[in-house]
Amino acid sequence: MKTDHLIDMLARGVEPAERPRWARRLALTLVVGLAAAAVIVALWIGVRPDLGSARMPVMMKAMFSAAAAAMMLPLAVQLMKPGRPLGWRLGAVGVFLGVCVVATIVALMGKAPEERIAAWMGGAFPWCVVIVPILAAPTAAGLLWLMRSFAPTRLTLAGAAIGALSGGVGAMAYAMYCPVDSVAFVTTWYVVAIALCAAIGAVIGARILRW
Amino acid sequence: MADEAHLRALMLKGLAGDQAAHRAFLTEAAALLRAYFRNRLRGAPEDAEDLVQETLVALHTRRDSYDPSYPLAAWMYAIARYRLIDHLRRQRHRSHASLDGIEVGDSDPEYEASDARHDVSVLLEKLPEKQRTAIRLVKLEEKSVREASSLTGLSESDIKISIHRGLKTLMRLMAQEQAT
Repeated sequence: MKTDHLIDMLARGVEPAERPRWARRLALTLVVGLAAAAVIVALWIGVRPDLGSARMPVMMKAMFSAAAAAMMLPLAVQLMKPGRPLGWRLGAVGVFLGVCVVATIVALMGKAPEERIAAWMGGAFPWCVVIVPILAAPTAAGLLWLMRSFAPTRLTLAGAAIGALSGGVGAMAYAMYCPVDSVAFVTTWYVVAIALCAAIGAVIGARILRW
Repeated sequence: MADEAHLRALMLKGLAGDQAAHRAFLTEAAALLRAYFRNRLRGAPEDAEDLVQETLVALHTRRDSYDPSYPLAAWMYAIARYRLIDHLRRQRHRSHASLDGIEVGDSDPEYEASDARHDVSVLLEKLPEKQRTAIRLVKLEEKSVREASSLTGLSESDIKISIHRGLKTLMRLMAQEQAT
């Protein structure tokens, strides 16, 4: 077929393009994903028994996770559509990581040397690295599905952004369970967990987002 | 050649439903895309034209992903680049799978520039019945969406969705056909 004929065919009977309500769909996906993660924690993993008295640290950890998700959101939005600049949005992620490193060091410096390892590792295996990706899965599935209806052109990066954003949402729910309240633990292992979500997202995104 | 402001004005009119502007946009985009792909696929002008067509369908079916607050050229070339990478990846898979390798070079200089190898009317046959019928009636036989709706008994929005989905599938078929 001649290209001119194809153009005729495409242009024929064209109607006003619909304005997709992506902001609403994105917000809905995030809310549903967070609710799903909270349900998994409540029914399967279990809320920490001292939730009533530990409200402050739980809130702080949830806020930290929400901040991580908020850092990823502009990047994920840019990557949904072709040819959008990333610029400061990548920088914001870098700044966030830098702040986490500094916070970890400062928090550990404030501890007695013999307490540092326990404060950093949380006294046991950091389970958030395993559980946060599981809690992120519902959000990630929703975001992948949402992004497929747009036109991502940098699939690995888009997948990573979706993964990290979902990881932040998953970590918000994880805070209801997480028994470790040490700052250095959170600024290290929550970030590792979210980074792992980003890595998984990059691998899956490169395959699933193809169009 | 078309500049950003001119192309963008055509695109925005097309998004508002102006058929002539949309056609003009696709025509000018085709010329730019042809130059883009030929530069990058030297010695394979047929591949370049295949990619021009595939990208035109992509620009059309994904036009709602263009946000007027960003440059149009960046949007268009991001899609073109993505189609090119997808093409090269498929081609690499193919050359790994085959023992014969691919014939490169020897392209016919008299080759008709705007004629791609794949035949869209043949590819249309591979679409699901509903999508095929909707595209045939509206896009090839020049019926209105309303006429197509009364001819098929499908709702008007059903016709529009079928055309949209059908064209998206068509672009995938075009890409796959190049790789086989």
